[in-house]
Amino acid sequence: MSFLAPWAFAIAGIAAAGMVVLHLVARQRPAAFLLPTTRFIPDQRTLVSRAATRPRDLVLLALRVLLLLSAGAAFARPVVTPRRGSMSRIVLVDRSRAVASVTEATEKAKALLSDGVPTTLIAFDSMPHVLTPTALDSLASVPRSAAIGSLSAALIAARRASALLAESTDSIQLVLVSPVAASEIDSATRRLRAEWPGAIRIERLALRADSSAVWTLQTQLPADDQLGPAMMSSAPGAGVVVTRLVRAMATAADSAFARNGGTVVRWDSTAAVRPVAEGLAVGDEVIVAALGRRAMSTNGEVVARWADGTAAATEARVGSGCLRDVGVTIPAAGDLALHPPFQRIVRTLLTPCGVAAAERSADSVALAWLGGATTNAAQASTLRDADVRPSPLARWLLGIAMLLALVELAVRTRREPEEA
Amino acid sequence: MPTGPYGALLDAVRGVRWPAARRVMGATLGAHPSQLRGNSSEFSEFRPYRQGDDPRRVDWRLLARSDRAYVRLTTDRATFRTSMIVDASASMAFPLPQLDKWRLARELAVGLASVAHAEADPVGLAIAGAGQAVLAPRARRSVLLEMMRALDATTPAGSTALAPFVTSARASRLVVITDLLGDFDDLLAAARLRVASGSEVIVVHIVADEELDPPGGALLAVDPEAPQLRRILNGDLRAAYREAFMRWLDDTSTALRAAGVRYVRATTGEPAPHLVRRIAGETARRGA
Repeated sequence: MSFLAPWAFAIAGIAAAGMVVLHLVARQRPAAFLLPTTRFIPDQRTLVSRAATRPRDLVLLALRVLLLLSAGAAFARPVVTPRRGSMSRIVLVDRSRAVASVTEATEKAKALLSDGVPTTLIAFDSMPHVLTPTALDSLASVPRSAAIGSLSAALIAARRASALLAESTDSIQLVLVSPVAASEIDSATRRLRAEWPGAIRIERLALRADSSAVWTLQTQLPADDQLGPAMMSSAPGAGVVVTRLVRAMATAADSAFARNGGTVVRWDSTAAVRPVAEGLAVGDEVIVAALGRRAMSTNGEVVARWADGTAAATEARVGSGCLRDVGVTIPAAGDLALHPPFQRIVRTLLTPCGVAAAERSADSVALAWLGGATTNAAQASTLRDADVRPSPLARWLLGIAMLLALVELAVRTRREPEEA
Repeated sequence: MPTGPYGALLDAVRGVRWPAARRVMGATLGAHPSQLRGNSSEFSEFRPYRQGDDPRRVDWRLLARSDRAYVRLTTDRATFRTSMIVDASASMAFPLPQLDKWRLARELAVGLASVAHAEADPVGLAIAGAGQAVLAPRARRSVLLEMMRALDATTPAGSTALAPFVTSARASRLVVITDLLGDFDDLLAAARLRVASGSEVIVVHIVADEELDPPGGALLAVDPEAPQLRRILNGDLRAAYREAFMRWLDDTSTALRAAGVRYVRATTGEPAPHLVRRIAGETARRGA
């Protein structure tokens, strides 16, 4: 136990010592003696100084000393420092849609638990959840989340958990069990990673089967097309399933293409629509940006919606293929196409019908800064809250001091009539 | 008669006589010389017959020898109503815890009453304290026991004036047993009146040894009858206290004696039988 304001306890100790001295060598009222002839004593001072040859009222003295020490200790703001272990561990287990197998994630987490290091488990997709070790088995039986994983949310949860662990350990190791998909990294992730003072050990999981390798994008965009930059991250492969992007009215050839099993995405750029602030939601992705609404067909299934619920993109079956109509116009000016969320929306809207949205592994640069330059675990001292809170002991000590004051008053009140 | 703690005292004072200091008034036959001259068997003197004298008191033999008529005068004896007025104020409860002043006052009251009662004098008791008790003078055998019970049942407390008891006492001999720390001036005035009316007033002044010589060391003296009166008594003040107290003792005794009151100082260190004998004996000497 230590004190945040030790000077208060020192003052109380000095006061207690002074009280003991005063009690022993104080000006004391001598013992009362009933004397019927008191009237013949000259009326002079009523107090005399004398050193106590035999200490009196030891109970009162003890009560007063304890009172002072208790109050002093309470005002000194005691802090109880728990016994600390050498290392603790925080394991972030990814269960987002980017994970190929949740079972693999739980097995890796179990392996980390086996070495006996105190471990805090945090499962995350778009939201983090702190798990008990026994909940890990049940996690394996839960289906993979359909939500996009958020490493930022996981890092925030780890930082919060570390503040609690830091009180009882010297260092904290952070382990990330995740495939580290690109979709799990957002603009806050890097800054949040910088907040973690140590290395992050990354246990890579298999990425969910990426469909980008089995479909092909067929388009011919002019160089100044606004969709061009947004499609740069899509990078489809050379699969047998083909998506044809049409930036004007669909032709008979496009319809025939669709009927033969292809996917035609009609994203008309010819309509001149004035962009306004709009909210657009496609699957889990939501953006708010200056966008234009274009009149479009209402036939088929809605695959994208505006913030007011109206359809922003629809998809209709044609033969063995499908025709997707996107009613979103992109402003000619602006950097919207460069934003990753919008790029993911574009990628989703260009994915062939019946093919799941593709996941892509984060690049090596991202993995490098995510892992960190050092291999050391984070020092707990750097993770503790700056505002050290005094323990509840201070309140108890203050209560004890008040109780002692009442007892002292009762004892003193009882003694005075006896003396009289 | 069950006498309790007073048995030894009564044995010690048995046979002590306590005659009145002067001839007493009274017709009831007793042990004290009466102011009346009657026809008792105790011859005193002859006096020439005067008209109106009872012819039965004429000494006929002397008339025959001298041819003059003389009447025989005899001395009558009468009883002397005696009352004990005992101060039971808080100052008599001293020193704690043995209460020597109150013990001595009780023993003196019982001892003197027993001496008076042995001479067939009616004796009474008045306890002036928080619980007042008054026993009218009686000559019956049980009166001593009643006095003992009343005294034993009393605990000194409070502050009660003695003067009203002196004024209203139905006795010719008053023994006031007190420490004189109460209404001394009123008591002196009342005693002066009683003396002027022919009563015999004896004040037995009870003084504790601890009052004459308080315990050593510094102490906070508290007046039991006025607790707000508190004074420090230490080595420096002890001599001044003793001087003031002794001066007061002298003043009170002088004032009482000047008023015709018989003053007897009794300290707690003196045995009660000895004090009883001193009081009764001095009276006898004075009477002689």
